[in-house]
Amino acid sequence: MKYLLTALLFFNLLYSNESCLNCHSNTTQMDGFHDIKKIGCASCHGGDGSALDKTDAHKNMVLHPARLEHAKIFCGKCHEEVIKRVQTSIMNSMSGVLDTLKFQFKETAKITQSGGIQQLRAKPAAKQSLAEDHFSKLCAACHINQDEKIFKNYTPRGGGCVDCHRVAPAKIISGNGGIKIIHPKLSTKIPSKNCLKCHNRSNRIGLSYFGKFESEGYGTPFIHGKLSHRLDKSRFYYDLPADIHHSKGGLECIDCHSEAGVMGDGKKHLHMEDALDISCSDCHAPNFKPSQNYPKAAMLSALNGSVPLAKDIAITRKKGTPLYNVAKDGNKTIIYRKRDGKKFIIPKLGNKPYHNLKIHKRLDCSACHSKWMPSCYGCHEVYFKNGKQYDWIKHKKTKGQWMELRSYLRYESPALAIGYNKKIMPTAPGCQVLMTIFDKNGTSQPFHSFAYAAWSPHTTSKEARSCIDCHFNPLAIGLGNGILDMNRNGISFMPYYDSNRSGLPINYPIDALISKEGVRFQSFSRDSARGFNKQEVNKIVNAYKCIICHGEYNDKIYKDFKKSKKRFKKGQTPCARELLK
Amino acid sequence: MRRLVFSFWFLVFGKAPRSQSIEAVKNVRKFYLFVILSAAKNLFTFIMLGFFAALRMTAIGKFTEIITFFTASPYKKRILKPNISKSAAILVALTLTLNANSCIKCHSNKMQECKSNIHFTLKKAINTTRKTFGIKDSNITLQTLPLPPKVIKEPKDLVDDLLRRKCLRCHLTSQTVNPTQNLCLACHNPHKNRADSYKAKPAQGKCLKCHNGEFIGSDYLGKFPHDYDKSYRSPLDKEGFYPQSKDGIDYHYLAQDIHHKKGLTCTSCHNKKIAKNWLKPKCTACHKNLSAKNHKSYHSKISCTACHASWMVNSYNLNLLRDDTPNYKQWKRLTKQFDPKLESFLINALKSKTPPPPKSLDYLDNKEKSGIWYSGWKFKRWENFWLVNSKYGKIELAKPMFQYKISYKDKNGTMVLDNISQTDGKKIEAFLIKHPHTITKKPKSCEQCHNNPILFDKTLINKNLFQGTLINAAPLTKKQLKKMHSKKYKLERAKNFF
Repeated sequence: MKYLLTALLFFNLLYSNESCLNCHSNTTQMDGFHDIKKIGCASCHGGDGSALDKTDAHKNMVLHPARLEHAKIFCGKCHEEVIKRVQTSIMNSMSGVLDTLKFQFKETAKITQSGGIQQLRAKPAAKQSLAEDHFSKLCAACHINQDEKIFKNYTPRGGGCVDCHRVAPAKIISGNGGIKIIHPKLSTKIPSKNCLKCHNRSNRIGLSYFGKFESEGYGTPFIHGKLSHRLDKSRFYYDLPADIHHSKGGLECIDCHSEAGVMGDGKKHLHMEDALDISCSDCHAPNFKPSQNYPKAAMLSALNGSVPLAKDIAITRKKGTPLYNVAKDGNKTIIYRKRDGKKFIIPKLGNKPYHNLKIHKRLDCSACHSKWMPSCYGCHEVYFKNGKQYDWIKHKKTKGQWMELRSYLRYESPALAIGYNKKIMPTAPGCQVLMTIFDKNGTSQPFHSFAYAAWSPHTTSKEARSCIDCHFNPLAIGLGNGILDMNRNGISFMPYYDSNRSGLPINYPIDALISKEGVRFQSFSRDSARGFNKQEVNKIVNAYKCIICHGEYNDKIYKDFKKSKKRFKKGQTPCARELLK
Repeated sequence: MRRLVFSFWFLVFGKAPRSQSIEAVKNVRKFYLFVILSAAKNLFTFIMLGFFAALRMTAIGKFTEIITFFTASPYKKRILKPNISKSAAILVALTLTLNANSCIKCHSNKMQECKSNIHFTLKKAINTTRKTFGIKDSNITLQTLPLPPKVIKEPKDLVDDLLRRKCLRCHLTSQTVNPTQNLCLACHNPHKNRADSYKAKPAQGKCLKCHNGEFIGSDYLGKFPHDYDKSYRSPLDKEGFYPQSKDGIDYHYLAQDIHHKKGLTCTSCHNKKIAKNWLKPKCTACHKNLSAKNHKSYHSKISCTACHASWMVNSYNLNLLRDDTPNYKQWKRLTKQFDPKLESFLINALKSKTPPPPKSLDYLDNKEKSGIWYSGWKFKRWENFWLVNSKYGKIELAKPMFQYKISYKDKNGTMVLDNISQTDGKKIEAFLIKHPHTITKKPKSCEQCHNNPILFDKTLINKNLFQGTLINAAPLTKKQLKKMHSKKYKLERAKNFF
């Protein structure tokens, strides 16, 4: 023990007197936890801290130690456990995206786990399948270990740990006294803009949460004679109501999505929802446990610095990980905003009839509380076999070029279906692929594959949608836009969209998930997800027969709906006497 | 023989027939090479080729098109080039000498009648637009529309320029858009022996030349205009073409009008008598015996279309920018703005190394004037509709028509008007009563009106879009709205279910 201590002391002295600073005295200090005076340079960047010669000192040195291949060695000295977890996370491998795409492109009959980006990197371009080529050219730009240097016209992404944790970038300032190098700063208080670098496409959660809807590309209004409201070169947005967590509390992504949910639990997951840890009830109906049983919570709280560790903190139900910023305070539940430690009281899931209605126990919170759902209909994929396009994995132009066209966009109150968690969730197209291939022999349209996907759009509002917005809204039921009507003989529906005449190779409306007979037109990539069946459609619409008059949750007929129904059928209620004459 | 047909087609229309495959294009190429090679031997072929080439050159003025036809890859050419068919009409112009002067010889009395026709004066369209900009003079016609003032300070100084260079692309005396089809010929087709045309009765296609896009007309066929951005030009057809866009825009197809399904055309309802006196055709003129069961007395104040029109073209917030500077780059993805002239100008300007100065045509005096009008919407929807009280005592559908946002950038690049939506303290946006021609036998469900989110949803997203001025109409009163949720309604509706 004595020897170990002396050894440590010796190293400590050595580090504090590293030769690096002899030359690099113009480099600024990092953040408090990575104090150069305490940990030195070489512990992160490698090289020889005791050498006095440049070539000797720079031997085996690494400029970007946060890239995952180096992080194992350098960051891993202290953060070994985290690095191991993050390497298996979906943000690194993107395997879920690739595997789902393969399924959508009809290359696999069932989604199975592949090696994701790491596997594709080793595969020659010529041997890639259509889905793999699409993935490498259109999707693979976003993953945490992307090479930052390759982005010239876009926000840089990647770089390993720093993709999320870097809060201030490296800068070189040249002045009178020579150049000054500002070392990037790392933090666990990750600003949402770091998340938004990637999470702004596909299901657009990152945009929706902040109240931005990717628009039809008009760039209106024209301000100062220019197109306005730009997201990037060719994408525009307009403002819609933001999520209440943002508009009221200014909560950032990390306030809900804890480190365990984001960086993974060390297991390889097939889909994002398997890796996801948080749910609404973890905060709004929390499960408190003493914080002293969770040393990790104490560590995270100390790293954050602004959030005090309470005696009792909330624990997630799914994976049992601590939420150190959700605390018990007497009868109240409190959330500390991780950014600055500001306190907010979390409204509790009360005992109100609307949350206790038995018939609605299959509903996910998002089914009622989502204000709008970004929906992009029709994904017309055009593939030029002889063209060339930049491959984000191989970092060069390879054969095969993609162009994407669409049909239309909407932001309505969401359509509903049974989601991945077997609960009723908001859905939108994802994706409705129509493939066109150009090659030497002309064009071919080898396949089309129309699918929906269920997700929580992150457009939460306090007011839930009205009863009629689900029970007599054809879009919500999954029939698509059109005229839904009902009489004694049953339900009738006339759709608006005419896919056939619009040139689509399908004989159902593009926004129809199911027919009123419960025939499933469009598929889901998840096994348990599906549109409503005939019985469910009838149940939902038939409920409207009561809702038209009994439109409030606290109406007494819903206290025991089965009993009320029986009484109605027997003609014992006032309305039955009127209606069943 | 097939090759010969293709080649003649190409000479006349400037492109291969759409129905033919890529192979056919290759065949045409081969044929041309064959002809050119054998031309030296065969004097007759040589002369014929020269004749057609000369005809085409004068007609289109683009010999380069023929060259690119031989040099460009057939696939790329097909997907990247928009289909604007203009050569056909111009060629006809050369061979056809018919014009209004020829008609006058026999139909001089008709010409007099026509001069007071609203199609000729466009009084309504012109004055309503001017009124929304705050100009009170309401007796302006196409013939008396003044030139815009030279100094521009307010949006209303721009309205006449806007009308002249953007809106009035469609008018009877238009020389530029279609030289063979002005005046009488704009509606009446002289070819008696063609199946789709009659001498007196205008064919449906003739009406739809102007009554299309955002307006009532093409919705009769179920057409809903696509968005302008490049990525909405879908789906590609089997040959790899973008969808056809004869009106300057391509379309979604929605549920069509039942009258169209049954074979009726525009003139079946909008007949001579109605057109002459500028009356609106009434549904009840034909549908005399409405069943009392389905048409209850409490709905007697509601127009037929309010229930029976299934969807309508709603385009919100028309943003207009007049730009006098050559700033074309930002429109790269937005060349298609429901304006074929602007489209071809932008495509050329974006391609050429020395971009042309920003000029566009005044459709009334046929002069090129400095500046270009660009446009863009907030969004378009087909599913929602707004019910209002019309001045004439009925409950009707209102359509957003003039929700203008005006900008003007002058020659020096200064913004004279920057995204202005108000004049004289009033919003320049309005709703007009419209009767969408998307009639179905089965009406809308009761809930579509009685629970219409635009009327009842207090947390409606984009509520501000429904606050503009209503022309010749007023919003539903509180009493009316209350009535729509009355116990009587609920009971009556519930009776349908049991």
